[in-house]
Amino acid sequence: MSNIPQSRLRNFSIIAHIDHGKSTLADRLLEVTHTVDPRQMTSQVLDSMDLEREKGITIKARAVRLEYEAADGQTYGLNLIDTPGHVDFSYEVSRSLQACDGAILVVDASQGIEAQTLANVHLAMKLGLVIIPVLNKIDLPASDPEAVMDELEETLAIPREEVLLVSAKEGTGVPAVLEALVKRIPAPSGKLDAPLKALVFDSHYDTYKGVVNYVRVQEGRLKAGEAIRMMGSGAECVPVEIGFFRPQHVPVQELLAGEVGYVATGLKNVREARVGDTVTSLLNGATEPLPGYQVALPLVFAGIYPLSGEDYPSLREALEKLHLNDASFSFEPESSGALGFGFRCGFLGLLHLEIVQERLEREFNLQLIASAPSCKYQVILNGAKGEQLIDNPAQMPSPNHIEEIREPWVAASIVTPTTYIGTIMDLSTSKRGIFDGMDYLDEKRVVMRFQIPLAELIVDYFDQLKSRTQGYASLDYTESGYRVAPLVKLDILVNGEPVDALSTIIHRDRAQSAGRVLAAKLKELIPRQMFEVPIQAAIGGTIIARETVKAVRKNVLAKCYGGDITRKKKLLEKQKEGKERMKRVGSVEIPQEAFLAVLRTDAD
Amino acid sequence: MAETLQPTAPRGLYLHVPFCRSLCPYCDFVVVAGAAAFGPRSRVAGYLTAVEREIDLRATALDRQFGSVGAASRPPLETLYLGGGTPSLIPAEQLARLIDRVRDRFGLTAGAEVTLEANPGADERGDLRGTAQAGVSRLSVGVQVMETSALRSLGRRHTPDDAVTTVAAARAAGFASLSLDLLADLPDLPFDAWAESLDAALALAPDHLSVYALTLSLSPDESGDDRLATPAGAVAWRQRAAAAQDEERGAQELEHLDVRLPAAGYAWYEISNWAQPGHESRHNRLYWERASVEAVGPGAHAFDGVSRRWNSADLDAWEGALSHGTLPPGGSAPTAAGEEAAAESLVLALRMARGVARDVASSAGFGEAIAWGEEHGLLAAHPDDATRVQLTLRGRLLSNELFSRIV
Repeated sequence: MSNIPQSRLRNFSIIAHIDHGKSTLADRLLEVTHTVDPRQMTSQVLDSMDLEREKGITIKARAVRLEYEAADGQTYGLNLIDTPGHVDFSYEVSRSLQACDGAILVVDASQGIEAQTLANVHLAMKLGLVIIPVLNKIDLPASDPEAVMDELEETLAIPREEVLLVSAKEGTGVPAVLEALVKRIPAPSGKLDAPLKALVFDSHYDTYKGVVNYVRVQEGRLKAGEAIRMMGSGAECVPVEIGFFRPQHVPVQELLAGEVGYVATGLKNVREARVGDTVTSLLNGATEPLPGYQVALPLVFAGIYPLSGEDYPSLREALEKLHLNDASFSFEPESSGALGFGFRCGFLGLLHLEIVQERLEREFNLQLIASAPSCKYQVILNGAKGEQLIDNPAQMPSPNHIEEIREPWVAASIVTPTTYIGTIMDLSTSKRGIFDGMDYLDEKRVVMRFQIPLAELIVDYFDQLKSRTQGYASLDYTESGYRVAPLVKLDILVNGEPVDALSTIIHRDRAQSAGRVLAAKLKELIPRQMFEVPIQAAIGGTIIARETVKAVRKNVLAKCYGGDITRKKKLLEKQKEGKERMKRVGSVEIPQEAFLAVLRTDAD
Repeated sequence: MAETLQPTAPRGLYLHVPFCRSLCPYCDFVVVAGAAAFGPRSRVAGYLTAVEREIDLRATALDRQFGSVGAASRPPLETLYLGGGTPSLIPAEQLARLIDRVRDRFGLTAGAEVTLEANPGADERGDLRGTAQAGVSRLSVGVQVMETSALRSLGRRHTPDDAVTTVAAARAAGFASLSLDLLADLPDLPFDAWAESLDAALALAPDHLSVYALTLSLSPDESGDDRLATPAGAVAWRQRAAAAQDEERGAQELEHLDVRLPAAGYAWYEISNWAQPGHESRHNRLYWERASVEAVGPGAHAFDGVSRRWNSADLDAWEGALSHGTLPPGGSAPTAAGEEAAAESLVLALRMARGVARDVASSAGFGEAIAWGEEHGLLAAHPDDATRVQLTLRGRLLSNELFSRIV
């Protein structure tokens, strides 16, 4: 594989909402440029994690180099840098975009712009990227390119003359996209003889090569065998290998300014080479790193526990391994009276939590219980005793030691058809959201802006938004600081004992009803035991709700003759397994679902 | 409870008769009904030919394995059980032929217990005099409940009066032992109505009673090759019926039995079975004692003291193989050995009133479960023998809570 001169390199990304066809378009680009043999083409080559294919989203950024012979007869190197498509990963998105000089904006010609797309396009424009607007799915009968072009003009000031019409599914318009990449996006401009500066926009861990960084060389040359230094973390190493993505790794001798590729560092932990860091040479390196490096901080926290205490060491090992690939979640040991030993984990968002939990269960074959997600509260203690940061309700000091509690808020923007304005207003205000204004995208769609407590958002706001708007509304949010709130800790006592994993921090006005709903839910979820089990909800020692799980009265297999014996044995084994899947709290067996009930405490 | 992994010759034979006039929606047994059971397209004749063939084939295999009937290792059968289905649909002369065939090929001891299951309906109970003459010594009548609307909602063809008539006819025919099957925890049947129904059944003075809490299997895909798929209509019926059952009321009914039946002279000898002295089912005891029982007919299960095997429930497959002179298709369970076999023995033995010797129960890793049972009042010392443990009344209601800690 040869180095193509800088003037014929184009680095670009694709910005799109989930399901608007980003992966399909990427697949077509790979096909048309013969980057992937059509016979080996699995649908959506770039989404290589099973989870990504199932959820239809990109979790980790990917990169691939296409070699394209353009209409002018020259061969161009087109580096496609795929970006994660979800609100939880906006920092990763910003780094991926920074590695590009242009971006294809894919908009579903029947759906129009969504909140996430809007946020990412604004980001790309702020970074000075050339935008190539593409209306996809023009083959669909419901597509309305004219209306969407109006929308693009009004909201993003994109002239309709620039818009390309494409059906990625059928391949129409794809060659025009390739030509636009060559003609509209500028070639990279970094100096070849300056000290090395390469931006890390993604990384993964490889058992043999250590941490593999995905880089865009901004200036200078990254040479095989020459020692490098991570300017942010300070880690130093001699690369094991450098190369291009085709999309598989193809080693080369050097990566020049403007090029996109990988560097296998041999480092053992992605923390030493995080996304956003700058790679430079150890000798005669750059003095100033590239701007914008930051360590993405977790927003959402949850306890993750093994179902069986014996699996604790395996869980630790699994978290460590997963963390090699994903430094954006944090974990530290904690113990719960109810759940035993586990880890307090921090995530970028709810989806991130879900993904990490699913990967732990699938890839490491673990059975886990995750406690209800929480955010990080600032608790100001009275008597000038300072401030505590709390990401676990169980750590909440008793009310008489608390001066005030501050909770994180976010600025949320929601793109929705106008028909749902009322329902979104209701939902958001019922979640303590404060309306911040609204802009019309066209006569049918608006962007609504709210300030809303993060704690409300992570409970079930997103699910409700989706169900109340039949999936038509899309959401994006950014942190917007801490505010004082009258919050209380709601405790649950099962058989008289407080179960720490069922505690939640909740607004005082909602605590009564939430306590009643939760106790009633737990009554349904906790199976009858050998004795009567009272379930109580309490705030600071005052019982606000009580339910009773009746004692089991009858559990008998009446008939037990010839064939029944084999079946009975199966049934008993099933009952035994069921018991083993439950968590013993005191003398009560509580199923996993009960711990999730805290997630849904709305009276509706 | 030491296991010898040596198969033994059967002490009993189960013969499955898969025909019913109509299907009852709660029933999980292997049954074909309607035109297959009577009339011009009846499959009964073909079945009888095939089951005689299976009797021959199974007996021949036993001859080879244990020697001919009468050899020390091949004693004649102590019990024969014709279950169903509705075995009383088989004409008496055919029953006689069948029982004779069993006697020829497996042997039957002089006082062998020969049970036949019968339904009380006029078109189901058959010729009871002829049945007794054919060699049936014990009649088990599927009464279920003595209340008209409850019978109707269960899909039964008979009325309480039919049950009365059947019992009278059975007594007249001279069966040595008469048993009634009853159900408890019936959908929508109040406790008082159920208790009255029980009294009506006791007024018939049976020698033996089986009372089963109605168990509705709800998922339609639970059938294995030893079971037929549950019809969709039956699944829907069960879902409705299950919602009308009541754990509390069911428990009350089972507790009521513990008062009412002893007062009428019946003693419980197994979780679901009560008998006047000397009328305990000998055949069923073989199952609980984990003795060898041979089995013929579609869906029938056999045990040779080491492993369990069963015939396919599919009548066509079963009959087809036998018409070619080969044993029917079927399956087998992995051989339970060591602790697994011991657990199975313990669970089965604990179902019976005689219980288990405490030192046996507490050995081999079951000590914790036994202690748990005693602590929670599910097990107690046997009233007549302090060296044994027995299920308490509470233990009989909650036996699965204990057994699932043993398996």
